[in-house]
This record gives sequence, structure tokens and C-alpha cells, in this order.
Amino acid sequence: MATADGGAYSYSLTVFSPSGKLVQIEHALARVAQGTTSLGIKATNGIVIATEKKSSSLLMDTSMIEKVCMICPNIGIVYSGMGPDYRVLVSKARKSAQGYWKIYGEYPPTRILVQELATVMQQATQSGGVRPYGVSLLVAGWDLNRGPTLYQVDPSGSFWAWKASAIGKNMINAKTFLEKRYNDDISLEDAIHTALLTLKEGFEGQMTEKTIELGVITVPSEEEIAAGMAVENAGTMRPKPTFRRLTEEEVKDYLAM
Amino acid sequence: MEVSFALTGKDYVIIAADQNAARSIIKMKGDEDKIKALGSHLLMAYSGEPGDTIQFAEYVERNLRLQQMRNNHPLRPQAAASWVRRSIADSLRSRNSYSVNILLGGYDMAENTPKLYWMDYLGTQSDVPYAAHGYGSYFALSLLDREVQKRLVISFPSFRVKVVDAEGVREVDVDMSV
Amino acid sequence: MSIMEYNGGSVVAMVGKNCVAIASDLRLGNQALTIATNFEKVFPVTDRIMLGMAGLASDVLTLRDRFRLLVNMYTIKEEREIEPETFAHLVSSTLYEKRFGPYFIEPIIAGLSKGSNKPFIASTDVIGCINFAKGFVVCGTATDKLFGVAESLWEPDLEPEDLFETISQTLMNAVDRDAFSGWGVVVHVITPEKAFTRYLRARMD
Repeated sequence: MATADGGAYSYSLTVFSPSGKLVQIEHALARVAQGTTSLGIKATNGIVIATEKKSSSLLMDTSMIEKVCMICPNIGIVYSGMGPDYRVLVSKARKSAQGYWKIYGEYPPTRILVQELATVMQQATQSGGVRPYGVSLLVAGWDLNRGPTLYQVDPSGSFWAWKASAIGKNMINAKTFLEKRYNDDISLEDAIHTALLTLKEGFEGQMTEKTIELGVITVPSEEEIAAGMAVENAGTMRPKPTFRRLTEEEVKDYLAM
Repeated sequence: MEVSFALTGKDYVIIAADQNAARSIIKMKGDEDKIKALGSHLLMAYSGEPGDTIQFAEYVERNLRLQQMRNNHPLRPQAAASWVRRSIADSLRSRNSYSVNILLGGYDMAENTPKLYWMDYLGTQSDVPYAAHGYGSYFALSLLDREVQKRLVISFPSFRVKVVDAEGVREVDVDMSV
Repeated sequence: MSIMEYNGGSVVAMVGKNCVAIASDLRLGNQALTIATNFEKVFPVTDRIMLGMAGLASDVLTLRDRFRLLVNMYTIKEEREIEPETFAHLVSSTLYEKRFGPYFIEPIIAGLSKGSNKPFIASTDVIGCINFAKGFVVCGTATDKLFGVAESLWEPDLEPEDLFETISQTLMNAVDRDAFSGWGVVVHVITPEKAFTRYLRARMD
């Protein structure tokens, strides 16, 4: 029941409208749909997440903006929607990952972190005095249990695993494009190129290393996994990160290819 | 200076407790009941710090009764013991704990077996065939050990017993059939 | 009188070739008085992990229940069984939670890892400082004696049956020299194919 003025229920807490909708959540999704496009593609040997970096002024130092964030060495995320809300979620996610490490001596599997984030986002739809988070997230991670996985989390707190997905402004077109381009045995390199091509569709302005951000999950080799699990290293070892935010130089190279 | 005993038979548990209510060297009462019926098939003998014993016993009694009313079913001895133990263990690490030692005997109607649990104020619990609390335990346990030994395979037919005293070393006969 | 010695009892774990063994005595005492001779101190965590605890019997039972709860929650939440290394960290952090009012037990963890079937043993102190040992770990009132016997009996790469013999002899001979442990022992051996448990009678005095 979204009317021009927002309707009778829109400015109160998140409550059901007579038709059974939670209008606040729909508004949050609308906010996400206005946000810059982000996407993720799962490949056989890794995952790529990508987003468009927009700045409102030429004077802004875009090298200081980070939209692709590492949560813990095996998990990275990107968003579409409200930057400030995302920052809060990133901080909660990082704290949660460290909390997990403190208990179990290892970083959380992707699914556990996603559940944690989704719970935080769901709580904002049921608690008093708060509004839902105005972001959708793409979470890419690798763990021993499930391998590489890509999840999307929405303001409602629902989440799904994807082979490839897009969120934000051009998500409909981007998803159609991805559906055409995706196949089950795509390599990480191909996936990165597909990600850039997908972003190019409906990209306003020039696509450069300044306006694009990329993050990748690289599936570790058997030897790397074995080294990480060795009892000799227990307690003291720092596992080789499987998630990495690409540098501007690396993005530039990919754009040139 | 209290004492309580319990032992299981083939299809029963028997519990005994002294009846003294004493403070220091003065005996106040000689007909105190220190065994509570917690249900139709559950008995609890309690001893320890005077105030705590009754408070805790009534706390357990009322809570098990509440459980029975809510679930329309009494807790089995094993479950009741587990609940009582947890209550004691939690209380031990609180600011003021209950100093109560317990013998919990019951008949498990589902398994048709007698059950006996020994518990102390620390929250220690043990499933035992016979048990005792207080100074009496030092006598009773060894006595019961001897009685039960007759039915165990390591029961030796005879022992050689020697005594050394002012008269020197000599051997004595112990009639093991007694 | 130390609270760690109040009830008595000892636990030991050993690594073999693709197998682990963990064993405890069966005595429960109140200082010198024996209360029961059926008090096991080793508990299953998963099909491939066992946890042994020696120290205050009340805390042994409380923690047995607590770890059962924590591992059940883990299994449901993560949709997988916990690994021995992870469980060791869980034990460590659970104990450290009570840093300034600790549980009076020392735990021993023994298990096989999922993929590699690699044997794993570890022990911690009362506040959860982990000791990742290679060959064997011991705890309880017979610690000193266990170290001595284990040091001379244990050797690397024992087959399950030989490991069973080694750990049994180690524990039985150690507890015979300890007034607070004994009255029979229980031995668990975990191999990739199966796990077995045997009860042994020792000196019953």
C-alpha cells in the first residue's frame, strides 16, 4: 500500500499493512534499487565480486573509498544501497568474525557469517525505534566445508546462495546478461571479465580503475590447505587469505585486457 | 554429626537417616524426619547445614511437584537426580550456596529398576548400589563392601591375618563364612 | 588439601598410527574414602572425538553437560560435525571464560580429523591454555606417575590393538601407585573405521 505520502503505516515502525506487506522493507529495497550496481560471479576456482564506484564530485579522492571490504581472511563483501548503513554492517560482521575466531580458533564459514549478518538485518525489521538497513549485500567466501560460496542478503534479512547475482540500479539487466553469459565451468579469469562486461552494460561514464572495484576469492590448493591445518602451526599460524581486494593497478590490467 | 544410609535391592531401595536435631553438644529433638518423599516413587534423604537442608529439600520438593503438574508426568529418578545435582552445582558457585548432602533413591517405573544416587554439596553425583553420608559412611561403606564382595568374583575364600603386639607376631583365624 | 585432588581420578590419551586412545580410571572418592567405582571421566563428543576430564567431579559433570550443549548447538548451526582442533579451541575458550573463578578440571581431547583421519590429542590447564602434544597427554592425581610410565612405554605409530595395550598398561600401572585413582579403568580407541571401548579391572583396593 505504497501511496505518494507513504501511506498510513510508513512512518511508524515496521508493521504489517492490512494487505500483509511490510512497507518499510519495500522502501528499503527501493533504496537499494537506486544504489550503484554490484555483482558477484562464482567460478570453479574462485569468486569475483565487483561494483561501480561513483563520486558526486571531481574533487573527491576516490582512492579512499572502499566499497569492497574484507570481513575476515576468507570472506569479502560488497553492497548496493546506503553507504553509512553498509559501514555499520561491515563493522558488525568483522566483530562477529573475530568473536568466532576467539571461540573456535578459526574464522567462520561463509554461511555462518551470512546468517549472522542476516540476523542483524532481520532484527532491524522487528525492533522498536529502528528502520531496516538500506542495503543489499553480496558475500563471497571460501571455507573447508562448503568451498567457495556467494550469498546475497536483503534488508528483510533473507539470504540465498547464488552462482551469480547482481544488486542495485541495473540488477534486472545485469542478471539477464549474467544468465546468458554464465556456465558452470567458468574460470575465475573468465568470471572477472564477465563481471566487467556486465558492469559495462548500463555503465554511465568511463570505466576505469578509479570507478571500478573488484574483490576475489581464490580457492587454495591442497598443499595450502594442509599447511594451514598442520598441528605444528595451530594457535600461531595465520592462514593465507583466500579473499583479496584487487589494487587499482590490477583492475587497470583487467580493464585493458 | 548426622548420618544417612541407603541401599538398593533387587527391586527396592531402602533409605535410613538419623533423627537427631542437634546444635553443638545439645540435642534439641529426637524424632526429626530427614527423608522426604518427592513423588510416588522417589525418596530423598538430606543432611548438612541445618537451615539449608530444609530450605533446599522443600525447594526441590516444590519444583519437582510443579514439573509433575505441568507435564502430567513425574520425572524419572535419573532425571530428578540430574535436576537436583544441577541445582546444587549452580548454587555452589552463587554468593550463598546450599550445603546439603543428598541420597536420592527411586524406583524407575519405566525400566522397573531401583535407582540410587549419591550427591554431595559440591554437586558431585554418582549412581551407586549402596551409599552413605556422614561419619557413618566410613563404617557403612566398608561393611557393605564386605557384604557385596561375597557375590563378586574377586571374593577370596580365605585371608591370612597376622597380629603384632606386645606378645609378638601371631596368626589369627578369621571365619569368612560369617 | 587441594580441590583438584578432592575426588581423585586420572585421564590419559595417546596417539597411534591412524588412531587415538583415551582412558580414565573409575574411582570417585571423597579424599581417602572411596564413594563409587563406576565414575567414568571420558565422554563422547562426536563419533570421532572424546573428551576426558580429571579434577573436581562436580565440575566434570557440569562441563560434560555444557560441552554436550555447545556441541549440539554447533552441529545444528553449522550443519556439520565439529573437528577435534576446533573442539579443543571451544574447550579452551569455555574454560577461559571463567578465568577468575575457574572450573577445577583439566581436560584432555582425543580425536581423528575428518578428511585426513589424522590423530589429534591435546590437553589444557584449568583456565584453558592449550597443549598440542605429539605423543601422549595426561592429567589427574596420577599425573606424575603417568608421565613416567607413558614416557617409557609409548612409541610412535602403534596399531590400534598395540596402542590399546600400551595405554592400558600405562594407566593401570600409574594408578596402582596413586591412592586417589584406580578401581578399574575404561579405555576408548578410535580408528577411522570404528571406535571400541573396553573396561579393565585393575587392583581393586
